[in-house]
Amino acid sequence: MPFMNLPHLHLLMNHVPTVGTVVALGLFILGMARRNEHLKHAALEVFFLIALATLPVYLTGVAAQLEIQGRPDVSREAITAHHDAALLSFILMMLTGFVAWLALWQFRRHGKAASWTTGGILLLGVLTLAMVAPAASIGGEIRHPEIKLDENAVAPAGVWVSAAAVQDLVTTRPWIWPAAETLHFIGLSLLFGVLFAVNVRLLGGMRGISYAAMHRMLPWGMLGFGINLITGMLFFIAAPEQYTTNAPFLWKVICLMIAGADLLYLTVFDKIWALEPGDDAAILDKAIAVTAIVAWVGVIYWGRMLPFLGNAF
Amino acid sequence: MIDLFTWLEGSAFSTWVREAPTIWAFSTILTLHTFGMGVLVGASGLLDLRLLGIGRTMPLGPLQSLYRIMWFGFWLNLITGSMLFAADATSRGTQWLFGIKMLLVATGVVTMVMIRRQVYGTRTEPVIEGSTRTLAAISLAAWVAAITAGRLLAYVSN
Repeated sequence: MPFMNLPHLHLLMNHVPTVGTVVALGLFILGMARRNEHLKHAALEVFFLIALATLPVYLTGVAAQLEIQGRPDVSREAITAHHDAALLSFILMMLTGFVAWLALWQFRRHGKAASWTTGGILLLGVLTLAMVAPAASIGGEIRHPEIKLDENAVAPAGVWVSAAAVQDLVTTRPWIWPAAETLHFIGLSLLFGVLFAVNVRLLGGMRGISYAAMHRMLPWGMLGFGINLITGMLFFIAAPEQYTTNAPFLWKVICLMIAGADLLYLTVFDKIWALEPGDDAAILDKAIAVTAIVAWVGVIYWGRMLPFLGNAF
Repeated sequence: MIDLFTWLEGSAFSTWVREAPTIWAFSTILTLHTFGMGVLVGASGLLDLRLLGIGRTMPLGPLQSLYRIMWFGFWLNLITGSMLFAADATSRGTQWLFGIKMLLVATGVVTMVMIRRQVYGTRTEPVIEGSTRTLAAISLAAWVAAITAGRLLAYVSN
């Protein structure tokens, strides 16, 4: 990118998780107080999209860390503390996003979310906010020590989660990387199989199946997505320099964002949900299905090409 | 046998696959092999899950078209897999893990065909028999094991 680098992108996006969580949690609590299902539904959609957007925020943050941690005018301790706090919030944010997605899926199928998912969202949303706010604050102190009450105070490194510990775990145990690669390929097959079939239905294949029946399989695709998010993050945290300066990785994340947004569309949209056996999807929905398949193939292509077009092993 | 492998590995085509300084040789063939894996195992695994009782609202009849997707993935991977084998014939051909992977893939494909015969065979309506579930479970296990063996080939040298 000639006009922008990854640290710049991190500075542009880094308020999204904090502000987004405040908005989503606020809407959700308001929806509960007013017993308004539409508000709750909207809040869940915001939770899911914020979780999706948090992925590039975390990834560009690590790129920024590698870029500036050697500079004399920034504190390495502050960066480490920010990274560890951000990693913990990232994990909580992903959990919130997954449960929000599950609640949306239940909404679609049963007309309402189960009480355990609703309670889970509330709990996870509050926890995420409690962790992401300090993470953002420590991040601000890296370049703005003037906002600190005590300029000499050093934020503590990760209390519960430490990126260095994860890196150490993956790099010192030689079986973890191959095991994670294996799981990553099994997750790929599960994820791709389900989402390919659902999109093929929208394109007119397997027309004898109602969309609602295909929708039943989406959580299995989400399971594959979860396996691949966890194993993928293990690779990224263990060897970030392989990815932050790797153009295919950037394309892979862009394709993932498109595919992730499509997952929300497949889960909640009314028009496709109403497709009975034999019904043909509208031309716009077919165009979206083609885009989604191209995006998933892109994720596989750029992922597999990481060592060949980029510098990953 | 080893003479055959040596000849194969030394052929102009194998040398091109292995050494050509272009992304269209080894890396693209390997990427197509990964894509074919996702198509074949994904489609076959989806049918297996349905046969094991998940998503019973999906009628079995239209799911038969998944077989076209599976065969597409199978042929793509037979072709790309043969190319990758040719490029490394002496080491792959003598590697026990590679032999195990081939057995597992064969198990997966044979199971896939047996499931088709049983479910969509002679009767007009598709049917799940008692042994269909066993076949579906064997199919899932074979694919997971085949992926594991294939992935570990990159890390195991004997």
